[in-house]
Amino acid sequence: MGKMRRRALVLLVAALSMLVIAACGDDDDGGGGDGGGGEAKTGGSITISETSQPDYLDPALSYTVNGWEPLSTVYTGLTGYKRAEGQEGAQLVPSLATALPKVSEDGKTYEMTLRKGLKYSDGTPVKASDFEHAIKRVLNLESGGTAFFLGIEGAPDYVEAGKAEADIPGIETDDASGKITITLTEPDGSFSNVLAMPFASLVPGDTPFRNLTESPPPGVGQYKITESVPNRQFVLEKNANFPTNLTDDPPGNVDKITVKIVKNAQRQAQDVISGELDYMQDPPPADIKPEVKAKYSDRYEEITTASTYYMFMNTRVAPFNKKEVREAVNWGLDKPALARLFAGEVTPGCSFLPPGMPGYDKALDVEDCPWGNPNEPPDLEKARQMIKDAGVDGMDVTVWGNNDDPTDKVTEAYADQLTKMGFNAKPKILDGGVYFQTIGNAKTAPQTGFANWFQDFPHPKNFMFLVDGKSIQPTNNQNFGNVDDPEITKGIAELNLQPEITDEVAAQWQDLNRKLVERAWVAPYGHRKLATFVSERMDFDNCTRFHPVWNNDYTSFCLK
Amino acid sequence: MATEPLTDQTTLQGPAAWEAEAAREKVHGIGPWRLGARRLRRNKVALLFGALFVLLVAVCVAAPLWANNVAHTTPTENHLSDTIQVNGETKNVVGLDGVPIGPTWHGEFFLGADPNGRDIMVRLLYGGRNSLLIGVTAALMTTILSIVFGLIAGYFRGGSDAVIRSLLDILWSFPVVILGVALGVALALGGLKIGPISISGDSLLIPIFIIGVVYIPYMARPVRGQVLALREKEFVEAARAQGAGPLRIMFTEVLPNLASTILVFFTLLIANAVLLEAALSFLGAGIQPPNPSWGTMIDDGVDRIATAPHLAIVPGVMLVLTVLSLNVFGDGVRDALDPRAKIRIEH
Repeated sequence: MGKMRRRALVLLVAALSMLVIAACGDDDDGGGGDGGGGEAKTGGSITISETSQPDYLDPALSYTVNGWEPLSTVYTGLTGYKRAEGQEGAQLVPSLATALPKVSEDGKTYEMTLRKGLKYSDGTPVKASDFEHAIKRVLNLESGGTAFFLGIEGAPDYVEAGKAEADIPGIETDDASGKITITLTEPDGSFSNVLAMPFASLVPGDTPFRNLTESPPPGVGQYKITESVPNRQFVLEKNANFPTNLTDDPPGNVDKITVKIVKNAQRQAQDVISGELDYMQDPPPADIKPEVKAKYSDRYEEITTASTYYMFMNTRVAPFNKKEVREAVNWGLDKPALARLFAGEVTPGCSFLPPGMPGYDKALDVEDCPWGNPNEPPDLEKARQMIKDAGVDGMDVTVWGNNDDPTDKVTEAYADQLTKMGFNAKPKILDGGVYFQTIGNAKTAPQTGFANWFQDFPHPKNFMFLVDGKSIQPTNNQNFGNVDDPEITKGIAELNLQPEITDEVAAQWQDLNRKLVERAWVAPYGHRKLATFVSERMDFDNCTRFHPVWNNDYTSFCLK
Repeated sequence: MATEPLTDQTTLQGPAAWEAEAAREKVHGIGPWRLGARRLRRNKVALLFGALFVLLVAVCVAAPLWANNVAHTTPTENHLSDTIQVNGETKNVVGLDGVPIGPTWHGEFFLGADPNGRDIMVRLLYGGRNSLLIGVTAALMTTILSIVFGLIAGYFRGGSDAVIRSLLDILWSFPVVILGVALGVALALGGLKIGPISISGDSLLIPIFIIGVVYIPYMARPVRGQVLALREKEFVEAARAQGAGPLRIMFTEVLPNLASTILVFFTLLIANAVLLEAALSFLGAGIQPPNPSWGTMIDDGVDRIATAPHLAIVPGVMLVLTVLSLNVFGDGVRDALDPRAKIRIEH
C-alpha cells in the first residue's frame, strides 16, 4: 500500500505545491490551466493513457494517483476542493453539503446538510444515509482508507464485528432533512479534509459490499464510467445529472474521455506527440523528455508537488541509533546528485514538510538548511570524520530500496554515498509491490533506505504522522525510522486538535518541521515535480489545469 | 607404414569421412582424443570462435587493470556530480536532466556512463567477469551433479532410478526461465540457508546455485540413458565378473566412456548458463545491484534506448559474442569427438 498510497498523496501535494510555487514567484506557475484567459471549448472526445490500470475503479478502495485522478471526476463527497490551480485549489469547499461542516466546540462533532435535489448518474436520488453506507463500504472492505475513519465513534467496533449492515453509532443521518452528524472519539483537525477524500464520496445505499472495479457504482461527478475493461481501458462520459449549482466544481468540458492502459511510457509519449493520444498521466520517460522540452514546450509543463523524498534511518538499529551518525549522513548526503537521477524532476531541499503545505519552511530548502545548502555539494569530509569519531566506520550497512525507476538507482547512489562516508554499504532492492510493507515490518529491522510521501490532503499532519512516535506499529509501520522524539510527538498531538490552520498554527507546525530536520531524525533530499503533456489538438493554454489535490484535472480538458 | 594422406579422401565428407578416417587411424593406433583434436584443428570456424571466447575471457579477466590504470574508478563508484575534461572541454558525467555522458573514446568513460555516473567500460568488463564466472561455475555444478545422478540412476536402476528420474521430470516440467526467476526472487530476498551454510541474497553463489540446479535434467537424463546402455556392455560384464564393485565400475569403466559427451555438454552448458544469467539479471532475479552483469546492464540501458542506445547495445553485443562463440566451438567439439552424437540443450 505504501508506495501507491504515496502516489495518491501526490495529487494533493501537487495542488499545494502549485500554491507555494506561485507564492514564491517560481517559474512553474504554468501556461496551462484556467489562467490562459481564453474561452474553454466544450464537447468532443479525447483519448488519454495511464501506464497501469488504476488499483480500483471503486471510490471506497482506490488509493493511488492513477485511481484518484479519474475518480475525482466521477465521485463527489460532502466536502471537496475548488477546481482551481495553486493555493486556490487547496481551498476546502462544500460539495454535496450545503456548507462546510459545523464543528462543535469540543471538536468532536461535525454537522452538515445535504443539498436538495441531487441525483446519481443513474438517476437515483441522493440520500443522507448514503454517506453512512459509503463509509461502511470503506471499513467493511478493509480499504486502504480505513484508518482515516476509525476516529468515528463506533467505527473500530464496526470493523471488528465484520457485519456489513451493522450501524456505526458515530454517524447519524436523516434522509428527510438531509442532515448528517458525525461524532468523533477525539478531535481531529484534519477531518474536514478526510471528508473530501474519494473514500468518503457518496454512492447509492444499495451499492454492494464488494470491489466494483468492473462495474463501478454511480456517483455525483462530472462524468460517469460507462465502460470498464481492467488492464485495457475505461470510458468516462458526461453525467447528465451532475448538479449545475456547484460553483466551485463546474461541469467538465469534453463529452467523452477514453482512458487506455498503455504499459510502454515511450509509446505513450510518441503517441501524444503524434496526436494518437491526447494526454499521458505519467511524465514522459527520461530519454524522450529532452525532445519534449525542446520541441513541444508549448504543451508541456512541470509542476512541483507537495511531496518529500527522504532517507529513513532506523533509530532503533545501529549505527543510526546514534544521533551523531544521523547528523553525519545529513552532512554527507549529496542531494543535487540524487536529484539528477530524477531527470530534473526533483528539487533539492531538506525541509520535511513540502512546498505548499502549511508549515513549509522554504529557508530549509535553500541556504538555511542546518546541513549545508541542499543545492550544493555535501561536506563529505565532515561526514567521514563524524562517522569515524562515532566509531562506526567500516560498519556494514544495508540500504533498502525498491525496483521502481528511478528508486533503484537512488538506492544504489545512496549506498555509494554511505560507502564514501566510511560505511561498507550495500543496496538491497525489493519489488515495488512489497517494499513498503517489508520495511514497515518490525521484524525486518531495516537500517536505512528510500522513502517518500505525497500528500493525501493539504494538512501538515498528513506528513508529520510519518515521524510521530504514536504511529509506530509492528506491521505496516509508516514511521520507518521509528522516530520517537517526545517533543515532536507531543507537538503533533496538540496541533492536530486545532480545528483551523491559522498563521499561528502553521508557524507551530513549521517549528516542529525545523526541529525534526535539525535533530537529524530523517534525511530529506527534495520535492518531486510532475508533468502535464498533451497533444497538439488539446487547448493547453486554457484547458490543462493542474489541481493541487487531484493533479491533472480531467474536467478542465478541452479541445482547440 | 606411412599414413595415407587425407587429401585422398576428398570423395567423402563430414561424418562419413571421419568414420573412414577413424577406421584408418585405428589401424595406426591413434587414440580417440588425439583423433578428436586432429578433427577439431581442421574445423577452422570452431577454432576461430574458440579463440574469440578465449579473447573475451582474457579481456574480462583484465578488468582490474583497465579500472585501476586507465579508467581510475571501480565498477560500483557513482560519479553523479563529477565533471571530466574531454578534448579540453569540461563535461558533466551526468547532466542535470539525468542524461549520462556518451562515449568519450578516452580512458575515463571510454564507453560513456550509466545513469548513476558509473563507467560503462569498467562495468562491462567486470560484468563479463561475473557473467562468465557464474556461467562456468554453474555449468561445472550442473555437470558434476548430472554425472552423479545419471550414474546412480542408470547403473543401479530400480528404486534409485525411479526416484531420481521423478525428480528430474519435476524439474524438467518447469520452463527454465520461470523456475530460475522464481528461485532467484525468493533467494535474493532471504538468501539461502542449508544447515550451517548461509549465503546472503546478494552473493554470486545464489545465481550460480539457481542456474546450476535448473539445468540438471537437461544433462542428467541423457547421461542416465548412456549409462543404461553402457552397463550392459561386455567390458562392464567382464569387470563385474572380475569382482569389481559398482563404484569402481562406474568410475573406471562407465565414466571414461562418457567423457566426450560430458565435455560437449559442458561447453554448451556454459553458453546456456551465461544466457540464463543474463535473463535472470535482466528480470531482477540474478546478480543483485550494484554488482554488474551483462544482463543487469542491458536492463539498465533499456530505459534509455532512445538517447543512449549504447547502454543496452554494448553489453548485448558482448553477450551475443560470448554465447555464439561457445555454441560454435561446442558444436565443433561435438563433431570432433562424436560426429554421430545429437547433443542439444533444448528448453
